[in-house]
Amino acid sequence: MGNGRVSSETLNIKKLSNVRTLTKVAVLGSFSFVIMLIEFPLPLFAAFLRLDFSDVPALIGAFAMGPWAGVAVELIKNILHAVFKNETALIGETANFLTGSIMVFTAGWFYSRKKTFKIAVMGMAAGVVLMAVLMSFANYYIFIPLYQKLLHIPLDAIVQMGTAANKAIIDLKTLVVYSIVPFNLLKGVVVSLITIMLYKRVSPILHS
Amino acid sequence: MLKDINIGQYIPGDSPVHRMDPRVKIILTIIYVVLLFVINNFYGYAISSVFIILPVVLSKISIRYLFKGLRPILIIILITVLFNLFLTEGEVVYRIGSFSITKEGIRMAAFMALRLIFLITGTTLLTLTTSPIDLTDGIERLLNPFKRIGVPAHELAMMMTIALRFIPTLLEETEKIMKAQMARGADFESGNFINRAKNMVPLLVPLFISAFRRADDLAMAMEARCYRGGENRTRMKQLKMSAVDYAAFAFTALLSAGVVYTRFFFH
Repeated sequence: MGNGRVSSETLNIKKLSNVRTLTKVAVLGSFSFVIMLIEFPLPLFAAFLRLDFSDVPALIGAFAMGPWAGVAVELIKNILHAVFKNETALIGETANFLTGSIMVFTAGWFYSRKKTFKIAVMGMAAGVVLMAVLMSFANYYIFIPLYQKLLHIPLDAIVQMGTAANKAIIDLKTLVVYSIVPFNLLKGVVVSLITIMLYKRVSPILHS
Repeated sequence: MLKDINIGQYIPGDSPVHRMDPRVKIILTIIYVVLLFVINNFYGYAISSVFIILPVVLSKISIRYLFKGLRPILIIILITVLFNLFLTEGEVVYRIGSFSITKEGIRMAAFMALRLIFLITGTTLLTLTTSPIDLTDGIERLLNPFKRIGVPAHELAMMMTIALRFIPTLLEETEKIMKAQMARGADFESGNFINRAKNMVPLLVPLFISAFRRADDLAMAMEARCYRGGENRTRMKQLKMSAVDYAAFAFTALLSAGVVYTRFFFH
């Protein structure tokens, strides 16, 4: 075989890996959306906080293909959700995208520096904490006021909804601290634990 | 668990609304949503109802499907109505125990319920009359100008198309593996939270492995057909604006002007 022309034109390794990444991210995004459909609300928390494991594929994607791949998986998942189940006029999707992306990107960034199990766990821990902190600000300053604007529910009413579940909630700040922060932490920890349990069993196929 | 999940709202048809350019439909939907937030009285809703009723009639889609789109937000509507009904201050009309319904509360509740119904009906109409593939195509074209600032419009659209194509496959596979694991004694529906999470692992491992295998096969197939990204790619289906699209734009401009007029000149 005349390998000169063939290898330079049709066997472009970089492009090949790009297409591989493209299809993997796409399938992970689709997978993530399917998992999102199996969501269940937690009884202790306000009704608009739902728990699902859909960040697991994004995390795996971020570990396998870098932080931006994880963000892309989150993006695809949320666009699909917006196309198929528009329920909150994109506010819910935006919040979910931000939450997932912050966590997944941080974890993926750590892991891309040094690929060891310890760094992966550290990255996920950092991602969960960062996500909980940033999202409590985002909720306080952006999303809760936005919901209020959209639905015209007085903020006191949301606070009262929180008070019904937890006596310590007295105003919007305490609502965020007692309901959204622990929810995001719990969600992050559970997703990270599942990813840890999965990663070793799935990783051979990621790197093949 | 997955049985009651109804994916894909698109209803094929050959109406003028179906034939419209997806780009136009997306832009008009965005304008419509923005208009809903401009409205501040019921006259505005009267105008926007024309905006929504005309395409619904033209699309020949049964009203039933539109109501189906409203079902998931029924609880949100209910919560909104109740909160606004009881917690708005003003002239008391009726009293139940310590709660009181005010005149302003009734007005506000009706107003918010209408806003939500209009909002969801409009966006549902878009997904009912536009296939997901057309939507993706439209989004890609609309994102094209942003390519210059680094938005990977083509890659994003390609990934969306692939993701769309895999939803039914993955759903079916999830169900199959769930059943297979349940036959081996796995339990996905009971136990506390940590246990449930743990029980997901035997479901997720095979799903991940098969998903990656599919992605790899697809990448190989695309490579074999010399896929090389969006540049110089030709299309079988060209998007073209037709008379209906221009008419829709004109119609929208007229109604937008009407809505803005009601906001500032009626009270």
